Amino acid sequence: MSDTTPLCPRCAHETIEHITGSPVPGVWEVLQCVRCLYMWRTTEPARRTRRDAYPEEFMLTPEDIGTAPEVPAVPPLRLPGAGAATR
Amino acid sequence: MAYDDFRGFLDTLRKEGQLLHIADEVMPEPDIAAAANAAPRLGGHAPALYFDHVKGFTDARIALNVHGSWANHALALGLPKETGTKEQVEEFIRRWDTFPVAPEWRGNPLWAENTLEGEDADIFRVLPLIRLNDGDGGFYIDKAAVVSKDPADPEHSGKQNVGIYRIEVKGRRTLAIQPVPMHDIAQHLHTAEERGEDLPVAITLGNEPVISIVASTPMEYDQNEYELAGALRGAPAPLSRAPLTGLPVPWGSEVVIEGVIEGRKREIEGPFGEFTGHYSGGRNMPVIRIDRISYRTDPIFEHLYLGMPWTEVDYLIAANTCVPLYKQLRRDFPEVQAVNAMYTHGLVVIVSTKKRYGGFAKAVGMRVLTTPHGLGYAATVIVVDEDVDPFDLPQVMWALSTKMNPAGDLVQIPNLSVLELAPQAITPGITDKLIIDATTPVAPDRRGTYGTQVRDLPETAEWLARLRKLTAAR
Ligand SMILES: [Zn+2]
Repeated sequence: MSDTTPLCPRCAHETIEHITGSPVPGVWEVLQCVRCLYMWRTTEPARRTRRDAYPEEFMLTPEDIGTAPEVPAVPPLRLPGAGAATR
Repeated sequence: MAYDDFRGFLDTLRKEGQLLHIADEVMPEPDIAAAANAAPRLGGHAPALYFDHVKGFTDARIALNVHGSWANHALALGLPKETGTKEQVEEFIRRWDTFPVAPEWRGNPLWAENTLEGEDADIFRVLPLIRLNDGDGGFYIDKAAVVSKDPADPEHSGKQNVGIYRIEVKGRRTLAIQPVPMHDIAQHLHTAEERGEDLPVAITLGNEPVISIVASTPMEYDQNEYELAGALRGAPAPLSRAPLTGLPVPWGSEVVIEGVIEGRKREIEGPFGEFTGHYSGGRNMPVIRIDRISYRTDPIFEHLYLGMPWTEVDYLIAANTCVPLYKQLRRDFPEVQAVNAMYTHGLVVIVSTKKRYGGFAKAVGMRVLTTPHGLGYAATVIVVDEDVDPFDLPQVMWALSTKMNPAGDLVQIPNLSVLELAPQAITPGITDKLIIDATTPVAPDRRGTYGTQVRDLPETAEWLARLRKLTAAR
């Protein structure tokens, strides 16, 4: 890793969190983007770790994240005593 | 013979020449996944892979492709490694007939040796996590059995569930899980979320091989996976209670992670290279909070590569997808001879059947689409005659080549349900489905100019067995 201010390879966000380091000190770090939650190891190939080499088909925009479908959908609350029995 | 833990099975694989130890130092990425991607291309006797020299780790142990060939699948069931596919499915059907076999409760589980709790329950301290495919959103755990209970009926052991779901590592104590609506755990979560509750889960990794098979079998909602494990093993499944949640987990697992699926919460997950051989997009999915990790000393991380078929997952969910479909079809249609649902988790299903009368094969095809598994998966059904072996694709292609006339033999049914991961659907979750009738028409369906068919010589079956024995003994 030569880049001292890494950018999220996937969504270009600038806030990157350090998650963990290699048990053998100094070999690699695991980083995560706080926006799209992409996680990577610094020793992975450039196509997974560098914004400029990241494949376009895997990129995510804030809009993609905002409009991502919910799987599975959160059901309506049915509080106890509200009538309808749960299955 | 039954294995009580993962290491016992690895020993058998080693003795049978079905475990390849890679002693050279490898990079966590892309080496390990690339090797597991390549392994099934070695054919029906492809070995499992074992890595214990991974750069940057001090004591990583990673096993992949453990179920990734017919030879390994046979050994998992305690069969000789040369056992043919069709024979393995037939044996699976016979053993299922002894279901249910009650589990055996045992003390001193192997995973109780070490514990991390609360803030210390950092998954990176236990597992040498690695990425599989280029576009995956992070590191995944995709061969763990996830145990949960029906919150509305927690004492009903049949309604508890043991299933394999994709799990993304989102942080030191945070995971994501994909409960597809057709799956039992999604029903548990639905009930918990209606009540505004979290759903407790136990995630068990490095299980004896039959646990992975039953956890990926499309059983009915109130059937107990451990009781099927007992039937398939020929011996009760050894279980223990997970310490935090009290959930029943295998006695011999390498790692048991406990926590909750946090109710009514969704967060961005994925993409992940799925069993369909395509990536799922990024979606908002449930989140797991890890509260406790129990593990054997020097745990082995069992992982599974999946991508463009065939990969390990296609072996793991082959026989166990065929058998429930076979059993459900036979209830209504005893004419059904065999079911091959082993192409991409049964998105294509091939059924061989006798015919009661003209049009009967199409009825069998329609029944496939309405089985519980068919509702979520079967998109194309190919129906062949009773003398065609659906596991023998050249024979199936022969039937398509000579017996299928699109005039009347293709039945397209619009807008049926399918799981949302099926890439061919225009609206995710909805697709047209196709029945291909490649059987010989029988009265009163008079189509085609079928003369007398060439059949196997009466002595052929005997010679097949003899040749197999001779080949195996070489
Ligand atoms: Zn990002």
